[in-house]
Amino acid sequence: MSSRSTFIGAVEIGTSKITALVGEYTGRELAIIGHGECSSRGVIKGAVVDYKAACECTHSALEQAERDGGERIEMVFLAQTGAHLEGFYNEAAVNVKAADNMIEAADIRTVSDLAKSKELPAGRMVVHNIRRPFRVDGRLVPGTPESLVGQRLEVGYWTVHGQEQRLADNIHVIRGFNLEVRELVLASLASGHMVTTAEDRQHGVLAIDLGAGTTDYVLYRDGCAYMTGVVPVGGSHLTNDLSIGLRLTEGQAEKLKLRFGRASVQVRDKAEKVWLDGNFAIGDRQFPRQAIEQITAARTWELLEVVKKKLGNTFTPESCAAGVVLTGGTAKLPGIAEAAAKVFGVPAHLGETPSWVAENLRDPGNHTALGLLYYGVNAHSERMATERRRGGLLNNFKKLFASA
Amino acid sequence: MTSRHTTNPARSWRDIPQQMSPRALSSEGRRRASLRVLKTAGILVVVGALAWGGYQVAGTLREGPKQQTGAMQSAPVKDLVLVTDGVLNQAWLSQALALPKNTSLMALDLFQLRNRVLASGQVRSATLTRSFPATLAVNLSERMPVARLSAQDRDGTVRTMLVARDGVVYDGVGYDPAMTTTLPWLAGVKLTRVGGTFQPIAGMEPVAELLAKTKLEAEHLYGNWKVVSLARLESDAVIEVTTRDSAKIIFGVNEDFFRQLANLDAILDAAAAHPEKTLREINLAVGSQVPVAFSDAPAVAVPATGRASPPVSTAAPRLILPSISKP
Repeated sequence: MSSRSTFIGAVEIGTSKITALVGEYTGRELAIIGHGECSSRGVIKGAVVDYKAACECTHSALEQAERDGGERIEMVFLAQTGAHLEGFYNEAAVNVKAADNMIEAADIRTVSDLAKSKELPAGRMVVHNIRRPFRVDGRLVPGTPESLVGQRLEVGYWTVHGQEQRLADNIHVIRGFNLEVRELVLASLASGHMVTTAEDRQHGVLAIDLGAGTTDYVLYRDGCAYMTGVVPVGGSHLTNDLSIGLRLTEGQAEKLKLRFGRASVQVRDKAEKVWLDGNFAIGDRQFPRQAIEQITAARTWELLEVVKKKLGNTFTPESCAAGVVLTGGTAKLPGIAEAAAKVFGVPAHLGETPSWVAENLRDPGNHTALGLLYYGVNAHSERMATERRRGGLLNNFKKLFASA
Repeated sequence: MTSRHTTNPARSWRDIPQQMSPRALSSEGRRRASLRVLKTAGILVVVGALAWGGYQVAGTLREGPKQQTGAMQSAPVKDLVLVTDGVLNQAWLSQALALPKNTSLMALDLFQLRNRVLASGQVRSATLTRSFPATLAVNLSERMPVARLSAQDRDGTVRTMLVARDGVVYDGVGYDPAMTTTLPWLAGVKLTRVGGTFQPIAGMEPVAELLAKTKLEAEHLYGNWKVVSLARLESDAVIEVTTRDSAKIIFGVNEDFFRQLANLDAILDAAAAHPEKTLREINLAVGSQVPVAFSDAPAVAVPATGRASPPVSTAAPRLILPSISKP
């Protein structure tokens, strides 16, 4: 392994803010050395709608992170979200070829290729192929089935695919900074990796990342991501509901949401009122607190219900022993864990930032970027190792010359 | 052998081309792209320079020892090149250096050889240079004589020596005898021998200046000078010149030599109008008045110059003439 450090950028282009982190990867350790953040413009529900504005904000965050870290980013891991992302499950099975029924690498490769070979509609591209555990004669195998004995080998892949144009837009925002996107990672996988432990994932856990424009979720079972999804509803919808319901501007509604919003109604006194600004200036008004809580709670409840509905039969309280973990900026809404527990019927709690993360990054809104860095490094290393194994020296030379 | 399973996998996000035209880059992106190009160019230059340097070092390591060994074991000095601003020649140089036969160039002790060359007072400075493979180059700067003197060796042999402007006394080598015979003799000096050579004569600077000025401005006077004495230089600050006619001319070193020479010329012209009188002494060192003394010896007839001259009294032993203003 080379001792030279690689400086990796993790970028999350969100609806409310754009976060960039710089990680120094030595081949063994990853250290976060830089952090940049910028209010987002030109992005709605995770999709770039104004390329120039999105570029300006993203590049500003990247510059800030580079300045903070004092190093130049060499490659970028980019978080991907948006309603255009969809997933499906496909599985395949093969009969073990060897006469002694010992599973070989070729069998594994064949069944994996078959499981991933389902064609996509025009204009769609694969973002992730998430493998579920192998089964040998119906028996679950947590690791690799190579050298095990059996007659039938099965595997299934949860394939996440997205609209080509949307994916290209996000990549081109980074390319505009003259940086290459090396890994595209689902935001739910990144944040889920950050707020759940390997034990949680083994027992079954649902991680929900409540962002401003979208809500990303991932259901882990048997130690791997079982199902992912994106709901194009987030914290900004709560603001919008308050704005309409109480006839306020977006800014005023956001302020009320942050100060008095709750995911479950707590106030019983209908007469209890709160001031909009609290500074007794001209235009300052009073609003019933219960109304604010009712609006935010109703929308949050509905949002969680939508997630549960999208999970369908895949989610059962029995298969999710570790409960629900909530993260993202909207997860800071008081009472949201209680609401989630009621909706899903399992224990729920807010995702905790690991203790080794620096104080200025210990915010649920940074979990995606943090997880992106760690999940991305693992995925990138695995992919490079696989390519090395498959490619060989000659192929690597061919690739080198082809790229040149 | 297992049959290869062929599938047609769906397109991945990795199939999205990431090449972008410079137009699509932001200003910061363009700056980064330029820096990357510069960095690449810089690396190429450094690699090229290192490769070139390595090639040169390898060449030096390959050829250098041969050259050095060759130089150390070079053939004996074949050529002796002399460059001088004077009259010394190749024969003198060979004799002075006294190089042993079959001595290689690298084995020469240049410092010692230089001292041998400088042992001759005629050489003011010398530079010796090795020029490989077998040439020794000697560059000399020589002294020029302004006077001559007779010196007696320990064995009683009288030798004629030359005196340079800086007072160095040396055996002149290679000079044209016609030139050395025109040099005036030096008298009134005490020579001190140290080792095998004489110490430089002190106070030669004004004498050399007087002689040089006379030779340049009044060569007809210079040719008539026979002896220049420094006997009274230290005590009276005068230089005594004895002409071939045995007349004594006294120059003051504190006076302007040019004015004194002009006075002398005028006096000699005036005296020439009276060939019956013989000049004995002209003292130019006393300032604006010039005492001229005549002897009673029979005068030699001097042709008239047709030039008006002041009357010269034969009765009076001395005549005081007004000085001539400097032209």
